[in-house]
Amino acid sequence: MRVALWALTLLLVACKVEPRPRPPGVLFVSVEQQSAWVRNFNPLFAGAGSRWPTRAGVYECLEIFSPAVGQWTPWLATGHAWSEDRRTLRFALRPGVRWSDGRPFTADDVAFTFQLLKQHAALDAGGVWRFVEDVRAEDAHTVAFQFSRIYIPGFAELAQQPIVPRHVWEKVADPVTFTNPRPVATGPFTEVTVFRNQVYELGRNPHYWQPGKPAVSALRFLAFPTNDQANLALVEGEVDWAGNFVPAVDRTFVARDPAHHGRWFPLYGSTVFLYPNTTLPPLDDVRVRKALSMALDRERLVEIAMYGYTRPADATALNDAYAAWRDADAAQGAWVKHDLEAAKRLLDEAGLKEGPDGLRRKADGQPLALDIEVVGGWSDWVRAGQVVARDLRKLGVQAQLRTYEFGAWYARLQKGEFQLAISWSLDGPTPYTFYKWQLSPRTVRPVGEVAASNWHRFGDEEADELLTRFERTDAEDEQRALMAAVQRRYSELAPSIPLFPNPSWGESNSRRFTGFPTEQNPYARLSPHAEPDSLLVLTSLAPREP
Amino acid sequence: MAYVLRRLGFYLLAAWASLTLNFVIPRLAPGDPASAMFARFEGRVQPEAMVALRAAFGFTEAPWYVQYATYLKHLLRGDLGLSYAYYPARVSEVIGTGLLWTLGLAGCAVIISFTLGSMLGVLAAWNRGGWLDATVAPALAFLGAFPYFWLAMLALYLFGFGLGWFPLRHAYSHDLEPALSFTFAADVARHAFLPAASIVVATLGGWMLSMRNTMVATLGTDTLRLAHAKGLPPRQVMLRYAARNALLPNVTGFGMALGFVLSGSLLTEIVFSYPGTGYLLILAVRNQDYPLMQGLFLTITFAVLAANFAVDLLCLWLDPRTRAHA
Repeated sequence: MRVALWALTLLLVACKVEPRPRPPGVLFVSVEQQSAWVRNFNPLFAGAGSRWPTRAGVYECLEIFSPAVGQWTPWLATGHAWSEDRRTLRFALRPGVRWSDGRPFTADDVAFTFQLLKQHAALDAGGVWRFVEDVRAEDAHTVAFQFSRIYIPGFAELAQQPIVPRHVWEKVADPVTFTNPRPVATGPFTEVTVFRNQVYELGRNPHYWQPGKPAVSALRFLAFPTNDQANLALVEGEVDWAGNFVPAVDRTFVARDPAHHGRWFPLYGSTVFLYPNTTLPPLDDVRVRKALSMALDRERLVEIAMYGYTRPADATALNDAYAAWRDADAAQGAWVKHDLEAAKRLLDEAGLKEGPDGLRRKADGQPLALDIEVVGGWSDWVRAGQVVARDLRKLGVQAQLRTYEFGAWYARLQKGEFQLAISWSLDGPTPYTFYKWQLSPRTVRPVGEVAASNWHRFGDEEADELLTRFERTDAEDEQRALMAAVQRRYSELAPSIPLFPNPSWGESNSRRFTGFPTEQNPYARLSPHAEPDSLLVLTSLAPREP
Repeated sequence: MAYVLRRLGFYLLAAWASLTLNFVIPRLAPGDPASAMFARFEGRVQPEAMVALRAAFGFTEAPWYVQYATYLKHLLRGDLGLSYAYYPARVSEVIGTGLLWTLGLAGCAVIISFTLGSMLGVLAAWNRGGWLDATVAPALAFLGAFPYFWLAMLALYLFGFGLGWFPLRHAYSHDLEPALSFTFAADVARHAFLPAASIVVATLGGWMLSMRNTMVATLGTDTLRLAHAKGLPPRQVMLRYAARNALLPNVTGFGMALGFVLSGSLLTEIVFSYPGTGYLLILAVRNQDYPLMQGLFLTITFAVLAANFAVDLLCLWLDPRTRAHA
């Protein structure tokens, strides 16, 4: 009797699940991994967990930089110009742009957005008001920024700021905590048509400024709490566009449908470093840092930690987004090549003699012991840390891998209370930001004080002078020459130990949509996480004709 | 009545103690929530903006007793604050997205598991050494030794991925509007079946064994001999005399088990992408989201206390001795 009941229940519930036909023209995207969606479309506050693509898809910025082509694409602005004295930057705004409620977009909105950043410092993540003095709408389609000093890289910060409509946000009591449930924006997808805890959908902006775009009728987002769930949906063809880490992607995903399943993992992510705390002897000695670096077998490291998705870092530590900036001489630096004998010689020179037990001794006779700190659960870094520890032990250094809970690890890193740690680096449209946070004294904070980066706490006046000159020039050949000099200085000083550039994960399924960026057609990064490239992709995709 | 009031007093005390622990424990954990929060920007935030951000999030350096007073004041207003991880959403709103699903899924699973397990235990004890007692009980105990999530993954792989009988994720199909309709209810049931079944299978053995063992002890008592001697029908003896007396310890256990429901179904929820509170808890811990953590723990604590109070009342009804004392 009971068995019969069970069988009946099973039959009732288990009628074969047929996947329902998916609505045509609706693009399924997997970017964020969450178990339930919380309604938030605030584009201004970086600390807000706003739903993708709020910052570049719902809202838009003035110009878009794509590292794949190394070009700025005019967007809400048609162009920009510096004044003669490089103290004023003017953007010419695109005429005929409308907000999604039909109101015209003007220079007033741009000026108002930056005024909001001034009133609420928490919104000013890029710190634009450190170099901007004033912003004015000169006429309906011209906005002018007065700079307090000549600072050419500031253009990028201004150009990539999402712009909000004045007539909506001037009524918002607190733009920091405003969740903006019904966004009014200029982007291709502004209408929240569905919002539930497991799914949300964004429909077309009825007033979008690019005629006939977007060709995609709506974006749909399903909640996947973990990578495994998201990858399952991707492999099954339920997701059209994703930015997930997929192990053995060519076998598990591409091979299932080689005609449609595409992946492109260009090395445009931030470079991952082994940071030495240069305030602690003997890590303040460049020979020791270079010795540690030469002890590492990076070929094996990228194989083991990153499934071979990346390459060993070169001596400039730059990722491939900066390929045009890379200085060939600096990149040749031998201190990132695996050479255990040379590493041992460097330690001998630095006075760290080998003891009878094979361990290197510091000046006080104590063995050199170094802890490598990583975040427990970040499996790629944990694997990298294991390889690093093993290689350093071959050099006679007592290296131990220590895993911490993220918060504890980050607090130690920021305050400089570590010996060696694996972590990311900072990027911008040019290598300027990257090197500023690697070796400018202006970014060094004392031990015990929180630092946003430059956790290894290294400053070099000579490099800083080059960076300062870089800030003041907009002549391209001069910029290149200065940046090459910075790279040579970096390679000489080895303030940090680069391991590998991170890939930018992007997968596409062209069974239902065409127009995804590929290695052959790199008009943008394929990774949806890459903002504002996502705007270029969202306006280029088109449904396949059935 | 006095007994009920006494129990109520005890529960109020327990509630206060848990409120206080809830305040203290996250603050003893290493690391700094502000840093964890900002780390998610991977350096997109300039240090100058950090100070303003800290202020915006209300990370104060106020002494602990001031923080404690504010905490209690807000709680009395039912204000759990703003979540850090989902900033600037309210904690109550974030928990609200998942609470009903978790209560529904895990609550049903525990009730099914308890009822079914106790019934099986009664039958196993009544026919000691019978096939049920000899095969099903050890088999269930064996299954119960597996972790929930492992059974869940196995079920997902076999019945969801392999055979395609059940959906792979979520509480209902994403193209259905939630509505009070048969279609929607059936869809929810189909989505809940595998996760619930994996919890039931993992916990059934425990209920069955504890019921069987207390029942066996009860069967040896004089009351039962008398009942048999009086010539009552066996079924009546089994249910009215033996089972009712043996149920008491199991009911107490049931109150305890409900607490594990809200937190314990966490891994099951993650395997099936079930939009419950389980995943929220992991997220809160990972981001050191104190307000969300506290909100979740409070929800769990109060649910357990309420369940135990209900169990106390149930015991009053089941066990005449408590009434005699009351």
